[in-house]
Amino acid sequence: MIEPGGVDDPLADGFAAREPWAFEEAYRRFGPLLYSTAYNVLGNAEDAADCVHDALARVWRSSNAYTKARGAVRSFLTVCVRNEAISRTRSQARRTRLSERLAAEPQEYEELGAGDPIERDRLRAALSRLPPEQSEPLRLAYFQGKTHTEIAAELETPLGTIKSRIAQGLRKLGAALRDGEGPRRYE
Amino acid sequence: MSSGEHIGELAELYAIGALGESERRDVERHVAGCTACGQRLGEAEDDVAAMEAARLQHDPPEQLQRRVRAMLHRPAGQWSRYAPAVAAALILGLLPSAFFWEQNRTMHAAMEADSAAIGRVASTPHRSVAFSQMSDGSAASVMYGPDGSWYVVLVRGASRALSVAWMHDGQRTMLGTATPHGDVAMLYLPKSHRMNQLALMDGDRVVAQAQLAY
Ligand SMILES: [Zn+2]
Repeated sequence: MIEPGGVDDPLADGFAAREPWAFEEAYRRFGPLLYSTAYNVLGNAEDAADCVHDALARVWRSSNAYTKARGAVRSFLTVCVRNEAISRTRSQARRTRLSERLAAEPQEYEELGAGDPIERDRLRAALSRLPPEQSEPLRLAYFQGKTHTEIAAELETPLGTIKSRIAQGLRKLGAALRDGEGPRRYE
Repeated sequence: MSSGEHIGELAELYAIGALGESERRDVERHVAGCTACGQRLGEAEDDVAAMEAARLQHDPPEQLQRRVRAMLHRPAGQWSRYAPAVAAALILGLLPSAFFWEQNRTMHAAMEADSAAIGRVASTPHRSVAFSQMSDGSAASVMYGPDGSWYVVLVRGASRALSVAWMHDGQRTMLGTATPHGDVAMLYLPKSHRMNQLALMDGDRVVAQAQLAY
C-alpha cells in the first residue's frame, strides 16, 4: 500500500532531492498542521508564519536535512517547525510567558469552539493514561518547551531516568493517539 | 552523545523538543549518515506529529504560501545585493527585530536563502562611525565598506523617521529615509562612491552629522 506522505510517496523522493515542487506540495498538504504547530508554541499569527517560513527555508537550503530513512515528510516537517518555534521562545527569553500561556491551555481547549473536540480530548486522555512518572516530564517538555536537563532538575530525578521516561512516554502516547486514528492521514 | 555512538533516546528528546541547540545539531549530524537512527527518529517524529494533529488547528494566512513559494523560486545569488546590510545588522546584533520593518523583508528573505554565504560576509571588513549627539537622546551610527560600496545607517532609540543626506561641495543630496521600526531605524545604501560626510535630517533641520574616513 502506498502511504501518502510516507516513504513510498513520490513526495518523499522529491523532498529528499530538494525539488521545489515537493516543497510546494508539502506546504499545500501540511501547511495547516505546520502553522498550527508553530502557533501552539508561539501564540501569535505573525510569529507562527515567520517560524514556518524560516523552518522550511532552513530545510530547503540544507542538503541533507531529510533522508528517506526518516519516513513521513509530514512528521519530519512538524518536528522541524516545532523545534524552530521552541528555539525562538528560548532565544527571546519568553519562557515565562510561554509557560504561563501553555499552562492555561487545557482551559483554552474547552473554551474555544474551533478544532475537533474528540481529537483534542484524545491528547489529554492519552496523556492522563500514562503513569505520572512518564506524563509529568512529557508535559514539561511538550507544553513548556523545557530541556531534559531542566526537567531533571525540576523533578529532582537523575537525567538518565528522565530521558528514558520521556522516550517511553512519547512512544506510548504516540501509539495510543495513532490507535484511535484509524488509517494514517497525511492530507 | 560521543562520536561513533548511536543517538538512542536522544531521538525522542529531539522530536519532543527537549534538546538544547548543540545536542540538536549532534543528532542532525548523526542521522544524516545513519539509517537506523534516522528510522528511530522518524518514528519519534510520527509520535509528535500525532500529538500536534490532536491539538487545536489554526488556518495559516494566505500570504504565507506566497512567501514559501517566493523563497523556493528565488534565484541563487540574489542575497548578495543585500549581504553587506545583513552582515552589518548581524554584527550589530539587530537581527531579527529590524527585519520586521517592511523595507527589510527582502533582506530577510535574501539572508535565509544562504546563511553560509552571509556568515562569510559577516566577517567582511567594515568601518563604523558614530553620528554626533542628538538632542532627543537617540544614537546613530553608520557602518560602511572601506571602498564606499555600501553604507548602513542605524538609529537606535529612534522616535521618528529621519532623512539621510550626503553633504558634499556645499550641497546636500538626499539619499533616503530611515523609518523606525520598534526603536531601531535603518537605511541601507548601496553606492559606488566614497561619501565623506553624512547628515541626518528631521525635515529641513540637520540633527546629526558623521565624518567618514577611508
Ligand atoms: Zn546511529
